[in-house]
Amino acid sequence: MLAELKSATIEVWEHRELLEQLTRRDIKLRYKQAAMGFAWAIFMPCLIVLSGLIIRFAMAQISGQTLQRVDIANIAIKGVGWAFFVGALGFATASLVGNSNLVTKIYFPREVLPLSSVGAQAFDTSIGLLTLIVILPFLGVRLHPSFVWIPLLLLLLVLFTTGVSLFLSCANLFFRDVKYIVQVVLMFGIFFTPIFFEPSMLGARGAHLAMLNPLTGILEGLRLSVVQGHNLIYPLSVVVKGVERPVWEPWELVYSGICAIVAVLGAALMFRRLQHLFAEYV
Amino acid sequence: MTDVAIQMDAVWKKFQRGERHDSLRDLVPAVARRILHGARPAGELGADDFWALRDVSFEVQRGDALGIIGHNGAGKSTLLKILTKLLRPTLGTYMTQGRVGALIEVTAGFHPDLTGRENIFLNGSIIGMKRADIERRFDAIVDFSGIGDFIDTPVKRYSSGMNARLGFSIAAHLEPEILIIDEVLSVGDYTFQGKCIRWMQDLLKSGTTVIFVSHNMDAVLSLCNSAILLDHGQVTSKGELTKVVGDYYKSGGRWQPQLLAQPNARTVEFSCAHGTDVLVDPGERVTFRHVISASANCELTPGFFITRGDKPVVDTTYARMRGHPLRLREGETATIEWSLGFNLPAGVYEIGYHVGDFGGGYHEHQSRACIVTVGDDPRVKGDVYVALDLAESTTGVRSPSPARLGAGAS
Repeated sequence: MLAELKSATIEVWEHRELLEQLTRRDIKLRYKQAAMGFAWAIFMPCLIVLSGLIIRFAMAQISGQTLQRVDIANIAIKGVGWAFFVGALGFATASLVGNSNLVTKIYFPREVLPLSSVGAQAFDTSIGLLTLIVILPFLGVRLHPSFVWIPLLLLLLVLFTTGVSLFLSCANLFFRDVKYIVQVVLMFGIFFTPIFFEPSMLGARGAHLAMLNPLTGILEGLRLSVVQGHNLIYPLSVVVKGVERPVWEPWELVYSGICAIVAVLGAALMFRRLQHLFAEYV
Repeated sequence: MTDVAIQMDAVWKKFQRGERHDSLRDLVPAVARRILHGARPAGELGADDFWALRDVSFEVQRGDALGIIGHNGAGKSTLLKILTKLLRPTLGTYMTQGRVGALIEVTAGFHPDLTGRENIFLNGSIIGMKRADIERRFDAIVDFSGIGDFIDTPVKRYSSGMNARLGFSIAAHLEPEILIIDEVLSVGDYTFQGKCIRWMQDLLKSGTTVIFVSHNMDAVLSLCNSAILLDHGQVTSKGELTKVVGDYYKSGGRWQPQLLAQPNARTVEFSCAHGTDVLVDPGERVTFRHVISASANCELTPGFFITRGDKPVVDTTYARMRGHPLRLREGETATIEWSLGFNLPAGVYEIGYHVGDFGGGYHEHQSRACIVTVGDDPRVKGDVYVALDLAESTTGVRSPSPARLGAGAS
């Protein structure tokens, strides 16, 4: 098992120039003959943030509160993370089938196809992140020591996304309806992941349930360390009407980390064991 | 250290016809069936399975060129896909020693929206070139392809010939130790094809091992030094080139002419003084003997024809030669001799005969009675062999060291 993962890693590393070329191709194709150009990179996060704001505005109206600038920052940072996850999965799922002319004709480690989809999406997301860096100070975000958590959280997000991408691209090669299932799940997944809301809004039990989603720990961690300046080693909770509700628990980070690593290793192993069938089944 | 570049040892490959659960909905019943009945061992065939390759074994020495020939669906592509690691054999083992490069569908890695330049880097890295190598050979690739100024144009604006030429040029600069070629010689125009053949001959001279799959027997004969013939997944003939090529021609089924329901004449003998698979020198005269016996009174017009590939080269009949039919009474036997000089370019020619009825239809038709391979005369190229000679004389004052122009210099 370890030997297979090792050979996969070595082979992909040997083909890193191919990975780079394919990533470049995917990026170029998104911006060639495209009306929106680079605006496309922030289009999706903008839409997510706007829908989040509408929902939060409605919630604020009901409870008689006003919408805070910090709420916009909360949604924006999680929205960019979610946009990365959704975008990467959308492209990666179709990556093997969409490149079937390559898969059936030329040998190279097939992992580079879904990986390049993730890479191209990472490029888009980095444009979104740069935009965010410019905007966040206006939303009341100040530099804080808790920023040290950001690289780890982004790494976990990339690892988890990569794992799921490898799995789905492979699954879609064998079963063509996977693509549609993924579309539907991603469409509604935004309600099962705390993007527009915080887990604590669901009550104590609801918060714990929401934390079972591996993305919760990553995205909430990002939000808390960037916007709230919270050190993720310590738990955080709010008291609503005399009842304590968890906002952050350190095990979330451990849990998300384990999920990300298991996802990426498990999917890589599955991919390696099945890839000799790709040319025959695609 | 052995000098074997490729070794296939009893390779079998199973394929499935139809029924392949393409959606998750179909998976559940399939898995249930599998659990109930157990998985099938690799060596067994299910109802929908068939062997695309059966017990294929061969060896290629380093620096050799092996031709793989066979009719459509014989398993050539499957064999190539195993050699290029795209498929894994169901049973058996194989090994390749050295970097394998493939000239199969050379434009597979192209993206139509990218320019020629971008596609060189993309396709180059897909087939396994390092970027530094591509940069170093970039000018040579562009030069070889003859794309020139169009290199910064998206390839979707290219003609299909330009596309193929660029793809071929990239692949040609991969410099592998084992090169696998599948019918790419048909790309481009005449001059480009010539360039490709010269390039391949250079490769062979430089010691590259070549596997060449083609339906073009002339190309196989000029490039390879041994061949295997595949038929329904099995190696039915291997070894010496002319023998394998002859077997290929004999094994093929083709269009059948309209045969008479009650033939009254049949061929007792059709032979060539040299044998059935003949190698002749260009210009050599060969005689074919045709013995026909009649079982009823009939008017015949026996025919003789030569084809190359699918193209007729020579075609004639008794009636055309003589101006009248060959009249035979019941029980009579006639002997005809067709004699001709093979003033034809190097290549493989199929000799056929028929016993036509003067009233129409054929008593017998055989398009592949003999295979004649015309050898190469390296001194002269052309569509016909005209036994060209060169004579020379020099007048005037001789210089002290005369520059002698040999007749063999070309």
